Amino acid sequence: MDQSRTLQVAAGLGAVLAWIVIWAWLTRPGGPVPTLYFPAPDDVWAKFVRMWQRPYIGSTLPNHILASLYIVLTGWGLAALVGIPLGIAMAWWKRLKWIVFPTFQLIRPVPPLAWIPLTILWLGIGDSARISVVFIAALVPWLMNSMLAVYSIDRLLLDAAKTLGANDRQILTRVVCRTALPTLVAAARMALGSAWSTLVAAEILAATAGLGYVAVNASQLLDTDVLLVAMFMIGILGIGMTGLIGLTQNWLAPWSVLGARRD
Amino acid sequence: MIEKRLERMGVMTDRGKATAYGIFSLSLLLILWICATSLFQWIEPRVLPSPTRVIGQFAWILTEPFSGLRLPGHILSSLERWGWGVLTAGLIGIPVGVFFAWNPWFRTFVNPVFELIHFIPPFAYIPLAVLWFGASTATQAMVVFVAAFPSIVINSQLGVAQVEKIYIDAARVLGASQLRTLWRVILPAAAPSIYTGLRIAISNGWMALVGAELVVGKVGLGFMIAQGQENASVATIFVGIITIGCLGVLIDTLVQRTERFVLPWRKVAS
Amino acid sequence: MEQSAGKMASGTTDPAPEAPAKLELRNISKWFGPEGEGVHAVDDCSIEVKKGEFIVVVGPSGCGKSTLMTVGAGLEEPTHGEVLVDGKPAGPPGPTRSVVFQKFALFPSETVEQNIKFGLQMTGVSAAEQEARLAEQLKIMGLEQFRKSYPSELSGGMQQRVAIARALVMQPEILLMDEPFGALDAQTRTILQEEVQRLHREKHYTVLFITHSVEEAVYLGDRVVVMTRRPGRIKRVIELPRDVAWKTGDIELASEHPEFIEFRREIWGLVREEIVSI
Ligand SMILES: Nc1ncnc2c1ncn2[C@@H]1O[C@H](COP(=O)(O)OP(=O)(O)O)[C@@H](O)[C@H]1O
Ligand SMILES: [Mg+2]
Repeated sequence: MDQSRTLQVAAGLGAVLAWIVIWAWLTRPGGPVPTLYFPAPDDVWAKFVRMWQRPYIGSTLPNHILASLYIVLTGWGLAALVGIPLGIAMAWWKRLKWIVFPTFQLIRPVPPLAWIPLTILWLGIGDSARISVVFIAALVPWLMNSMLAVYSIDRLLLDAAKTLGANDRQILTRVVCRTALPTLVAAARMALGSAWSTLVAAEILAATAGLGYVAVNASQLLDTDVLLVAMFMIGILGIGMTGLIGLTQNWLAPWSVLGARRD
Repeated sequence: MIEKRLERMGVMTDRGKATAYGIFSLSLLLILWICATSLFQWIEPRVLPSPTRVIGQFAWILTEPFSGLRLPGHILSSLERWGWGVLTAGLIGIPVGVFFAWNPWFRTFVNPVFELIHFIPPFAYIPLAVLWFGASTATQAMVVFVAAFPSIVINSQLGVAQVEKIYIDAARVLGASQLRTLWRVILPAAAPSIYTGLRIAISNGWMALVGAELVVGKVGLGFMIAQGQENASVATIFVGIITIGCLGVLIDTLVQRTERFVLPWRKVAS
Repeated sequence: MEQSAGKMASGTTDPAPEAPAKLELRNISKWFGPEGEGVHAVDDCSIEVKKGEFIVVVGPSGCGKSTLMTVGAGLEEPTHGEVLVDGKPAGPPGPTRSVVFQKFALFPSETVEQNIKFGLQMTGVSAAEQEARLAEQLKIMGLEQFRKSYPSELSGGMQQRVAIARALVMQPEILLMDEPFGALDAQTRTILQEEVQRLHREKHYTVLFITHSVEEAVYLGDRVVVMTRRPGRIKRVIELPRDVAWKTGDIELASEHPEFIEFRREIWGLVREEIVSI
């Protein structure tokens, strides 16, 4: 069992290496792919190191990263502040759902990006436009999954709580909110994915810093190596953040990560 | 109290009540919009146009060319790019997914590239696509492709991996060759999952298309709202957003409805 | 052919100056959905549980036993009839009527000790008292070493012990148990049956116990109520001897006792009629 796992990891690493070799071979000087279209791996690495120390279009790479993270986390966090309570409340009080949900359904099919021109017109090209677009992008998964979290709670648990003398408020705070936690962690991950991908587009359209801004400028300046650095960073940060959220499940909802023990 | 009144009007079920509440809240929103714009002008038309302005703009774009094309023209060019992207994603994604499940070594080898496409958001490919293809249909189609591809591969793979081995053994016992087993047994059994993947791909692709059109191109719905921003015409943006939203819903409904015809053996559930 | 429960019940309540039953289900009917259109789960059932009595309800699966129980607990309103505690309308569910569910219904996000203390915290019992009662229940149910475990880490039998402890810790006047051992393996079930029997003998709990196992009914019950298939009516009420040796010992031995076998045969005959007859 363990051995086959090691084998898998080794094979995976081997595949990555193989692709890097293929990539290097294709983009070698005089190779079939001109570096204008796709740079060689060592160029990308050199550019990465250089961007880490020297500014590219205004800021160093860490500062661009921080700029992106600031926007995405703000929008995502604000969406959580609205989406979680609203979602739980809508699932708990059906009248609230009847009133709010139709409006929400109206907005939901619109791709979050379509709001960018509107927010730029209303709020200018500052941070607030991007934050609000990210907010909209993250709100949908936060709200939908918070509702789902409540709906998926076994009714029996609510009955059990009632027979133990809990009133509605106690059931909501102690049973519903806590039982919903694992689903909320999943919601956090989905919301972040949506927020991150929307942010990249928003930065391409209107920003003065950030990874999307780097990417679009690199494309215009034909700096393919910079463009690849930006794309890789976007991917790695996305994986990193979702991974971090997955880790929080261990201390937010430890019961949900235990394997059932049999006797 | 509201409910008592509704019940007296004959609305008894929760469903009916929900509809009544929904109609009520949406009407309230509409009235608020009318009050804020047409009636009392609380908000400048430059910031929020009145419903009549939006409808007027809609009619205008329907009949008069906007940046060279009328609204149906923009819709068609958006649909065309989207169609190409999703089609390519399906044509490549389904075989790749099936192969992923069929052959672990193929999977191990291709996986790094696949994960790269999966984890870098589609919009991050826009600058690269622009660099490669310039402002052509291929640019947008590539972004749609990148958005649509992962869900097709993942769901095709899942579908095939979930086909119970007993069916495959049964087919073998009956003397079917590998290829025939794949065609006659595995693909039909995996089809519902593949279909789910396509459905997700179709809506992801639509979302991505808007992003791509916002950045590059001279036609399409995304371009239209970008143009609305350029001209500071909120009404145009509204028309664009509403059209995009409605088309998205329409496409998804169509896909859901067709499922019954494409996959007649799948039990109609949930 | 069917002896109505009403007659039996009136037979036992006639002596006038008797205290009202601890729990009385009076002419309970329950429809799911609109009356006359929906599912008719329970029809005109009356059951009295005296203080300290152990009543077992048996019937074929789907006959409305659980429904009767949720109505008795106050979790569902009956379509007709009423639920009385000490002769007074019972009102909403609460800790005087503790419930043990077939599927345990433990809070997955709470440890064993948090689960057991849940009801005490809801009803504002002092912290010191909470600890004392918790310790007592952990001891009785043999759960001391699992107090910090989450339900998902426990076996089914242990989970049901926690659920029973959580019900008992409230010191309920009435204990309602809905097929509490239905989801357990045979050995665990036997052990818990004996423990419930012992608890009842020692602490004189008032219990309404639901099961589809005739054996369990004969072993545990002071009185057994047999229900018809849906809509559930009361088919027969059978008094069982109390304080006989085979009820105080273990269930394996009881099932060899001729009297036990006779009762089991009689009750199984009644249940069987409901299952096989169309
Ligand atoms: N909430 C409900 N809505 C509709 N029908 C129900 C509901 N609960 C139970 N029933 C139906 O009522 C009948 C009795 O159910 P139940 O009391 O659970 O039976 P038992 O516990 O004896 O197996 C069954 O036919 C069941 O399908
Ligand atoms: Mg039941």
